This record gives sequence, structure tokens and C-alpha cells, in this order.
Amino acid sequence: MTGIVLVVDDEFGIAELIDAVLTDEGHRVLTAINGRQGLAMMAKERPDLVFLDYMMPVMDGAEVLSAMAGDPSVAKVPVVLMSSMPETTVAERCSGYTAFMRKPFKIAQVVTLTVKLLNRDGPDGQGAL
Amino acid sequence: MKEGGDSGLERLSSGVTGLDIILGGGFLAGGLYIIQGQPGTGKTTFGNQICFNHVAGGGQALYVTLLAEYHARMMQHLSIMSFFDISKIPDQLTYFNCLQVLHDEGLKGLLALLRREITTRGASILVLDGIVSARRAAEDEEAFNQFVHELQAIAIATDCTMFLLTSSRGTQVTPEHTMVDGIIEFTDQLVGWSAESSLQVIKFRGSASLRGRHAFKITGKGIVVHPRIEALLARPSRPDVGGTGRVSSGLDQLDVMLGGGLPTSSTTMIMGPSGTGKTTLGLQFLARCSEAEPGLLFGFYETPARLDAKIAGVCRPLRGLIDQGAVEVIWQPPTEDLLDAYGERLLQAVQRRKVKKLFIDGLGAFRQASGIEPNRIGNFLTALMNEMRVLGVTTVYTLEVPDIMGPSIRTPIGDLSSLAENLVLLRFAELGARLRRLISVLKVRDSQFDGSLHEYVTSDQGLVIEATADSAERIMVGLANLREDEQDGITQPREGRDLL
Repeated sequence: MTGIVLVVDDEFGIAELIDAVLTDEGHRVLTAINGRQGLAMMAKERPDLVFLDYMMPVMDGAEVLSAMAGDPSVAKVPVVLMSSMPETTVAERCSGYTAFMRKPFKIAQVVTLTVKLLNRDGPDGQGAL
Repeated sequence: MKEGGDSGLERLSSGVTGLDIILGGGFLAGGLYIIQGQPGTGKTTFGNQICFNHVAGGGQALYVTLLAEYHARMMQHLSIMSFFDISKIPDQLTYFNCLQVLHDEGLKGLLALLRREITTRGASILVLDGIVSARRAAEDEEAFNQFVHELQAIAIATDCTMFLLTSSRGTQVTPEHTMVDGIIEFTDQLVGWSAESSLQVIKFRGSASLRGRHAFKITGKGIVVHPRIEALLARPSRPDVGGTGRVSSGLDQLDVMLGGGLPTSSTTMIMGPSGTGKTTLGLQFLARCSEAEPGLLFGFYETPARLDAKIAGVCRPLRGLIDQGAVEVIWQPPTEDLLDAYGERLLQAVQRRKVKKLFIDGLGAFRQASGIEPNRIGNFLTALMNEMRVLGVTTVYTLEVPDIMGPSIRTPIGDLSSLAENLVLLRFAELGARLRRLISVLKVRDSQFDGSLHEYVTSDQGLVIEATADSAERIMVGLANLREDEQDGITQPREGRDLL
């Protein structure tokens, strides 16, 4: 299954890499350089999956997750939270993400997670990961 | 970590060992600084070290890259440094990459973002890594100048100290150089097969700084800077009150030859070829230390094990003093460190224990460590010894001098008179098939002394010097004056020949 994937990351090299990898896999990929820009994109076009960086200027990953949770139109979109920090550190500061990917990551992780999250059972991909 | 400085301007500690001394107390809070240097010279380590030190003291810091460098990778590299503390990220230290902001929104957009983030987070340090990208994004020179100018305005208005990290532009002076509060340049230079890192404070507003180059190393603790000793001690730390009195050299007969011992707070060089007993003489000097007059052995060539064996063999009283703590032994291999690191370690040890008798075994190691600038050694030692003098330390050091031909002494470190107030020479003399040892005093500060040669032997009591110059005189004139009963053990005499 292919879908629309939104990548939100200030490290644009990473956003572009995920874009290139997932485009090759047949997905349509949108990119944003901060949380605010990412939410604006979600408002225009609902993504099927979001790769979200934790530490960003203007609006960080925690704020985006909080905003998504309060917006029924995107509340159930699966989110892969990305960070250079360990998940335990990030988890103390935010919740609501579906999977965690620590940077630096391998391309195979991106592809595997995307396949898993887009092919989960249940509406809006909320089945078990 | 902010502190008030002499000028009343608030200072911000760099957290980089040695750098605050060079800067006269740290950076000026709210200042704008350029850190420049070729790739690989340590700028990124420096920027991060400053941030982590700042947040360790409770501050907030922002590290913004304008490069295609990945923070995850950078953190992996930094994680081996002791200053790296991931628990401070992101609440106190935040990393952003703003290269795309720069591309999308230009310098204005970047400025707006920085201002918002500094204000929102209450950041008092900003590191902007890769300022070259901002320069490229500027429409022209004027636009870039405007950017730097506005950045400075934000720094002042938010009390946020900013560091712009950039590749070196060599000697080229650009407009931003004239606008910022300070410039530090990092350099790497090859010395034979090895490389030496140094930094130079090219510009520093608000206070004096130690000018010239200062060596640094990137260690597990981050960057450690060693202020150049001759700059640090350009003026001794206190007035020279002029020591009076005498200190024993450790050998009663040598004290007699010196006219009553070594002048207090003076420096004495013991010269001679390898094997003449220079180290033994130094050990005997330290063997007269006490808790009230602590000593320090600062050595390079004799390893601790070899020193222990030597002490057991020729200077047993010193063992007890070391065990009691009256004498400290600091040993380091001569290839280990930078010249100024040795100087700094020596100074710290002297100050820490209020040392009164110092024995430096192997002055040649300082020259060996001077690496890139061997000519520095004269000024380095002069500054160091001047400081020892005002600290009331009587110093004895050894120098291996292989070439002693008659009255001519060639040393590897140049002018001796500026390096030592007292000179003692040890030498070998062949008499027949036997090697004899001779000691002489060449110079004593402001004092009369016995300048004649004396024969000495090495024993389990250390050096034992003849009370008179008679035997030395007979050695110097060869066998012509030797009586028959003195020729025991001498084979194949070469009569009438100057045996030196």
C-alpha cells in the first residue's frame, strides 16, 4: 500500500533523504521544515503517515503531537517521532506518537516502518504495530 | 556562568580550560564573537563545549547549524567528551538546523527566527555554526554587514553571547571582523610528522588578552588550552623582594665551593655529560627538604621505577621524605605533552604545595617539547624561572651537555647566563684507563666562590667531593705529578698529556 507521507524536519538533508527513499517506493511525500509549516500542510492535505522530528525551531515535535491530538481530522494519523536523543528522554516530554526512530537511522528502517504503519489493520492505521 | 570582571563588564566563562586566562576572565556577556579556523581545527567541539559548560551552570543555549551537518552524527562524535550531557538536551540546550530557513526566507527570515527562539527560550548563548552559508545567502557585502549588525543588536538586547563559527579566511580582513567584539583563530600546523594546534585571540574588545599563539589539545575533556608561559608570566605574579640567605645544595663540600650554599630563590644549572651524576646531585638537593620547606622533583627521563632504584642506591634519606609527603615526584615522558602544558603543570604543583626546593631533571625535555618554535625555549625558561624566584623557590635543574672541550661549553639551549644564576659543571676526565669525575662551580649569583676543580666519586652516599682541589689538579696535568703510590690501578699511563 502506498500513501501520502509528510516529513517534518529542520535538518533538510534528512527530510530530502526520506523524501527520495519513499518516493522511490511509490509514496507521495511532502516536506516541511518546522512544526508550524507541517501543521499547515496537514490542514491542506491529510497525510497517511508523518515522520516528525522532535527538536525544531518555531514549533517542535511535542507541540505538533499536541496539536494533532486536538484535531480530529489528523488525530489518528500515525506518527514516527525522530530524534538524536534516546526515546526515554523524548518520551518524558511528549506522547501520542506511534513509533520512534533514533537518528542517525538506516534507510531500511524508514522503509520498514512505512510499510508497517501504512498496512496496519483497522481504520486510520491504528492497529497493532 | 557569569562573573563580573575588572572592567565592570559582565563576563561569561568559556568553560574551556586555559581560555578564560587568555581572555582576561572570559567572554563579555552579550558580545558577538567570530571563531575561525580551517575544517578540523576544533571549532565545533569548541562551540559545543561552551554550550554544555553554560547549561551545566543552569543557563540556556542554542546551537544553530547553517551547514549540511547532521546533529545526530555530531552528537555521536561529542558523546565521548566528558562535557557532553545528553540530559541537558533539549530543555536547556537545543540544536536547530536553519539552512533551509536561510534558503527559503533569507537572512531576514533567519534573524527573525533566531530572535524569536532566543527570546522564547531565554537563551544566553547562541552558537551559529557555518556562518559562511549566511554570507553566501547575502545579496551583497552590504546585506551581510547588515545581518551581522542586526545580530549584534539582538545579542545586546537579549544579553545573549553569540559565537559565529566559520572557516578561516586567512589574513583577509572582512567587514564583519571590524564589527564583532572578538575574533579567535584556530590553526593546525605540521611539525615534522606530527601536528600542533594553537589558537590566537586576534581581537578582543573590553579588556586586555594574552596576545600571540597559545597551544591547545583536544582531549577527552574537550579543548584544553595552555596559555603561552612567557605571555602568562610576562611579568612575575609578585614583586621580586630579593631572597637573602643560603640553601644547602645537599652536599656539604659543594656548599663550601659555592661560598655557603645556593643563594635562596636562585636558579642553578647542573651541566654535564650523561653518567656524571647530575640526577644524583639533584636528589641530594631534595634530601634536605622538610615539611616546612617542601620539595618537588619534576622529571622527564628517569621513570618512577628507575628513580626509586636510584634513590635506594644513592640517596636513601630522600625515600622517607617522599613517603612523608615533604617531597613530591612528578614524572612525565618527554614526548607526552606540549611545552606550555609542562610549564603549567610545574607551576600548579609549585603553587599547590608551596614548594621551596625544586629539582627539574632534564631541561632538554623542554626544548624537545618546544617543537614548532625551538627558539622559544630561552624566553619560556626565563619567564618560568623569574616566577620561581618571586615565589621563593630555589631551583636546581640538570642539562645534558655532551660537548665539553676545555673552557668551551656548547649547550643545546643557547645563552646560559640568562637561564641560571649559578652554574655547576660535572665532567669526566680520563686518567690512564680510569675514568675520573670532576666538579666545578662556574658562577654564583653576586657571590664569591671556589672556582677550582674538585674530584668526586659516586657512592651509596651520593656524590662525595674531595675537600681540596689537589687530586683534580693532578688529574688535569696528567701523570707528570703523580707519585708512585698514587698509581695503583692505573694502567698504560699517558704521561704529560692533557687528559681532558
